[in-house]
Amino acid sequence: MNIIFREKDIPNIREFDVYVKHDGYKAFEKALRMKPIDVINEVKASNLRGRGGAGFPTGVKWSFIPQSEPIKYVVVNADESETGTFKDRQIMENNPHQLIEGALIAAWAIQATAVYIYLRGEFWDIAHALDKHIEDARQAGYVGENIKGSGWSCEVYTHLGAGAYICGEESALLNSLEGKLGQPRVRPPFPAQKGGGLYSEPTVVNNVETLANVPFIIMNGADEYKKIGTEQSTGTKIFCVSGHVNNPGNFEFPMGEITFRQLIFDHAGGIPDGKQIKAILPSGGSGPIVPATDEILDTPLTYEDLQKHGTILGSASIIILDETVDITWAASKMTKFFKHESCGKCTPCREGTYWLDKVLDRILRGEGKPSDVDLINNIAANMQGVTLCALGDFAANPILATIKHFPNDFMAHVGGELKAAGD
Amino acid sequence: MANTLAEKYAERIQHHLSKYPDKRSAVMPLLYIAQEEYGWLSPQGIEEVAELCDMDPTQVKSIAGFYTMYREQPKGKFWLHVCTDLPCALKGAETFYADLLAHLGIEDGGTTEDGTFTVEHVMCLAACDRAPMLQCNFHFHEHLDMDKMRELLDQWRKEAEAYANKDV
Amino acid sequence: MSDKVKIIIDDIEYEVPAGSNLVDMAKWYADNDIPVFCYHPKMEPVGMCRMCLVEQGSIVKDRETGEVVLDENGNPQVRWFPKLQTACTQIVHDGMVIRTNTEAVKAARENVVEFLLTSHPLDCPICDKGGECPLQNLTMAHGPGTSRMNYDDKMHLDKHVPLGDLIFLDEERCIQCARCIRFQDEIVGDDVLAFHERGRKLQIITNSDPGFDTYFSGNTTDICPVGALTTADFRFGARPWELTEVPSICPHDAAGSNISLSVRLDRDFGGRAMIKRVMPRQNEYVNEIWISDKTRFGHHFTRSEDRLKKPMIKKGGVLTEATWDEAIRFVVDALKAADGSVAAIAGSSTPNEDLWTLRKLVEGLGGGLLGAWTPTHAGADLVAQVGVGKGTNLGDLGQGDAVLIIATDLEEEVPIWRLRLKQAADRGAYLVVANARKTRMDDFASDTVRYDYGQAAHAMQNLDAAIAKKLKEANNLIIVAGAEGLTLDGSRALMQAAANFLIESGHIGKPNNGLLSPFPGANGMGLHYMGFSPEATLQIMQNPPKLLIVNQAELLADDPFAAEWLNKVETIISLNLFPDAVSNMAAAALPIQSFAERDGTFTNGERRVQRFYMAQGPMGEALPAWQVFSQLSEALGQGHAKLSAAAVMKEITENVEAFAGMRYKELARVERQFPDVGGEDLYYGGTAYQNKGGLGVQIETSADKGEAVSVGEVKLPDSPKPKKGQVLVVPVAQLFNRQSTFKPSVLVHPRVPQPYVEINSKDAARMNIKTGDLVEVMMADQIRVTVQAHVNGGAPEGAAVLPRYLTDEATPMVLTVGEIKKV
Ligand SMILES: Cc1cc2nc3c(=O)[nH]c(=O)nc-3n(C[C@H](O)[C@H](O)[C@H](O)COP(=O)(O)O)c2cc1C
Ligand code: SF4
Ligand code: FES
Repeated sequence: MNIIFREKDIPNIREFDVYVKHDGYKAFEKALRMKPIDVINEVKASNLRGRGGAGFPTGVKWSFIPQSEPIKYVVVNADESETGTFKDRQIMENNPHQLIEGALIAAWAIQATAVYIYLRGEFWDIAHALDKHIEDARQAGYVGENIKGSGWSCEVYTHLGAGAYICGEESALLNSLEGKLGQPRVRPPFPAQKGGGLYSEPTVVNNVETLANVPFIIMNGADEYKKIGTEQSTGTKIFCVSGHVNNPGNFEFPMGEITFRQLIFDHAGGIPDGKQIKAILPSGGSGPIVPATDEILDTPLTYEDLQKHGTILGSASIIILDETVDITWAASKMTKFFKHESCGKCTPCREGTYWLDKVLDRILRGEGKPSDVDLINNIAANMQGVTLCALGDFAANPILATIKHFPNDFMAHVGGELKAAGD
Repeated sequence: MANTLAEKYAERIQHHLSKYPDKRSAVMPLLYIAQEEYGWLSPQGIEEVAELCDMDPTQVKSIAGFYTMYREQPKGKFWLHVCTDLPCALKGAETFYADLLAHLGIEDGGTTEDGTFTVEHVMCLAACDRAPMLQCNFHFHEHLDMDKMRELLDQWRKEAEAYANKDV
Repeated sequence: MSDKVKIIIDDIEYEVPAGSNLVDMAKWYADNDIPVFCYHPKMEPVGMCRMCLVEQGSIVKDRETGEVVLDENGNPQVRWFPKLQTACTQIVHDGMVIRTNTEAVKAARENVVEFLLTSHPLDCPICDKGGECPLQNLTMAHGPGTSRMNYDDKMHLDKHVPLGDLIFLDEERCIQCARCIRFQDEIVGDDVLAFHERGRKLQIITNSDPGFDTYFSGNTTDICPVGALTTADFRFGARPWELTEVPSICPHDAAGSNISLSVRLDRDFGGRAMIKRVMPRQNEYVNEIWISDKTRFGHHFTRSEDRLKKPMIKKGGVLTEATWDEAIRFVVDALKAADGSVAAIAGSSTPNEDLWTLRKLVEGLGGGLLGAWTPTHAGADLVAQVGVGKGTNLGDLGQGDAVLIIATDLEEEVPIWRLRLKQAADRGAYLVVANARKTRMDDFASDTVRYDYGQAAHAMQNLDAAIAKKLKEANNLIIVAGAEGLTLDGSRALMQAAANFLIESGHIGKPNNGLLSPFPGANGMGLHYMGFSPEATLQIMQNPPKLLIVNQAELLADDPFAAEWLNKVETIISLNLFPDAVSNMAAAALPIQSFAERDGTFTNGERRVQRFYMAQGPMGEALPAWQVFSQLSEALGQGHAKLSAAAVMKEITENVEAFAGMRYKELARVERQFPDVGGEDLYYGGTAYQNKGGLGVQIETSADKGEAVSVGEVKLPDSPKPKKGQVLVVPVAQLFNRQSTFKPSVLVHPRVPQPYVEINSKDAARMNIKTGDLVEVMMADQIRVTVQAHVNGGAPEGAAVLPRYLTDEATPMVLTVGEIKKV
């Protein structure tokens, strides 16, 4: 079932005319006939959860916006920089109007004055294509002054980042959009509050995929939407599968409908060269790694089921590692990512990622001691829960979870005693 | 001091300035324009952007230094960003990257002697399903191997020559 | 802040003001020093360093009843945050509960210190901050015993990066707390520092031109919690524990910034106590914990080799060295010979004690004219009547209040006022800046007013109605009126007009209301209270006495016309720090001590009488001027000489009504100040010093006392009218200049501009002058200086703005008509 990837059923839906022909912007027009608060309530009722990683209920987020403030913004998080994530890109390339429509509905719901779509800098070509799509929508009267005679005006702009994962974190994103250093802000105030959003105005920040769900909800109603997926994980989710699979790519499924095993073997083509699957990173580099046990492989893909197994669905960027992979090397790869992307603002993340990387390099060079494994485990533990934004936690995860599940991959490098996994 | 950017790119600059309630927000798009004009973020470019965004040049330099897509040093005409992050690495991107460097006879982050190519490895570019891949002057090239790569390099070299001849 | 909330810190309940910061409150009320690195009580919290983590929760209240929910033991139930919270980013609220002494908190602190030290070079033995370093102190208190990081794995970075002429950065020591960046941005409003790169590569940079070049740059070295920022003045100069701190007052301007002179017995100064550095000393009423770079780096004049070191008397027409006994006898004879035709002129940085003894001497001889120098700023009498009310604190101004700044360039004249009023504007005060040209203060103003040079009083009386209304309706209103572009008469008219405005709108006689003026020097108001006035100076000029005593006033360096009337004085007795053109003309040139070598008091622009203490060894045989005057009086039979500055002050208190409560003991009184910085608590505010020398005492205005005030009739004077081809030459202040008390600070020389004149672009086009051209400015048909032209830096059409004390030649003190020619 494709709520988002409608291009699979309707070729060229990226074009405005095609999109409109297939009920495009009908949801927006319907929303314009609704009271903004009713739009919020409908989204609330749908139990749509943010697809950017944290899974926060979208309607609830919108309802935090103080209606009395005259200036409000919607910011679309199209930074998509999590290792292994490439879904927002496909949405924007193939079904851009659904994102624009979703963003406009959000803007109407909170009575925003403008929408900014913040794209990672590498999405240069996508941003320019998007500008054209926005222009098409404007020509048809969906963007700009007095939209469809509603008396309400709203602009939609794109803004390109320039290469910084941290700008996916919402408060860093807002700083970046304001022309400031892309470092996270102290919260509270949260973006939805006065003082915490874009230019200090109340602001809704939503992921691309999240907003692309909204037209369906408004068009068909929350009840229809809730029929898809599970109670706690409503709707479909796009799973980005990469790494050791024959057929990597994006797969959209109702949440809970399939398991890891089905996803990997039935849809992503299984493991190349008949190798065994060793481990899964279910949420890119930032979610805890899990060993590919039968129990894990048979877990249905929902927020709640993954949480039960000590990991997260996050943005559902699923990276598959086969039996040949040295998990220490993988941990080092991820650590290098976070070290490179740490904004440097807060101490534990800035210093911790640097230190972890140094010690891991030493271990991989074969110069480490068994105590070095304890050392990195301890450094990572000390980074957890004390940083300004979640990147510090993300950076600790690869170490803590890899050592927990694959201690022997580390011990093999440092000549230490092999341990039973899971201790 | 004349502001070359303001003169040459008036329309684009105006477009970006008009998007935001605060001039400062236009600093990122304008830095791209400066980079386009000067090939890198030269002191002159930084000064001009500062003036246009009503910022202290220190703040503009700070922004330029934070992001990986701004060049604070002159680089090759073609700036290749090869993703070697985990998903791509699992698909052989590290070997591909090493082969590419060897082919061009440069080190990680180096520039070919003729100044045509600068090659760097980067973190995930959201194209993990199409590894190995790279971005060249902001455009993606996916599902690569060295054969394809050689073709691309030849093509870019020709473009570079054509460009150089045109300049003369 | 009358609203109070109850919070619980480590099981004890405290009542604290609502809306305040948790770290501040824990310190102030619970004596609980939550460790911080990035937090600074004068700046917005940023929660970066994570040192201040605490356990935090709130008391659970029943949603319905609002009653506190109790646990099984009958104690209030607390809902704890799952994670530790940064105390520095918390605003206290009712029912807030925090714990600062649990294992989790201790571990978090230890971890943060360990993380910081992973990159730190640990070069304390050679670090300027060693001994007074927050990182060092907090490592001792909260850090791990040993480092688990391999030294070889540490970052190695540049250790000597000049950020400008005065400040150096050691990149290895920096802990990325951003205090310096935020200081420049939030407090100064010159965001010339920033981070570059990201992650562990994050470094402080400046990319401005010129570099880190603001008038407040030195403060960053105080608030830097490590030894990453050091001043060119003190770098490698001494170890903090060798230093003795002597309370003092900045001798350069009307702010009266409280400072601490760090002294040490020094080989380079013949084993005498020598100033190694100047540090801010907290006085929340005056300068908080900030000082300007002039205050910090302008102390070298006190031990310049050019100082006058021995008394000189004229023998056979030549100034010859003499003993003090000889000199006193010589001067006494001269005084007697003058037959009562005696007058005095005192410079505006002359301490109160000197002024008083000088006045007694002159009056004892039957003389009467006591001139204030420089005679350009009128209205000290009006400030005494309707000046800012007793208890004024510029730091209190904010939303609902207003400030009008007129005819002054505060950045150049009293930088600390500019700093504090900029912040008042940030807090929401309505700031209006009126001047004939753009000044730095315009950047922070809500409204600006332009008038023609010479028309300041007229502009004051005819403010735009909307502006005037807002000013009048403000809760509190302060008018800062200067004398830029005015003659003495014009200055008086402006001060009167400003006083009238304040009186009419009822903004007098209460704290944070009234008149303020940037009188030159450190004791402009002291001159007034001791009976010295610019009007008397004009009388002296018009009718020179037989004998003139000139104390610390470089008449000829300041005023090219002074020679005309000075030549008519038969006998000049000169007392000064330096030999100058006046002492060359004098019958006796007596060496006196600077503020650093003696005790004394200054009265600042806010009329706060403040003590400074002897810090540095004396230069040659120089004496404090009060002692010279006192001895002369005794020799003339006017009573016993005073033996101490304190004794002089006692006499002042008995004779000058305004000074009635000013005994030294009173002036030395201190109280606990908020925020509680300095002292042992370096970690908190930096190395600014706790005030142990006294907060001073503010003199009440007539309005404060409820006395009648009299402003006098405002006479709008004519201002000089340039003819065709001529310009108005307007002298303006320049903070960094070549005056005798600043020139010896060699390290600041690169920041003293080459002599220049600002010309409007239209005038420049007419005269075919470009920026950088050398031009000759001719003033009053006789004075010529050759300077560089700066085109359109803000000079209005028809005016040439000529900063004072940049040229070797004296230029007129007040505006004149002149001509400009390209050389
Ligand atoms: C370090 C970090 C990186 C993030 N990167 C992204 C991102 O690339 N895209 C995204 O949508 N959300 C990202 N997030 C989550 C955002 O902060 C935010 O929660 C999200 O945009 C909210 O949208 P949603 O409610 O629709 O998910 C990131 C968060 C963190 C802490
Ligand atoms: S956790 Fe890392 S990325 Fe987040 S604020 Fe701290 S240093 Fe920056
Ligand atoms: S984070 Fe609170 S003091 Fe630095």
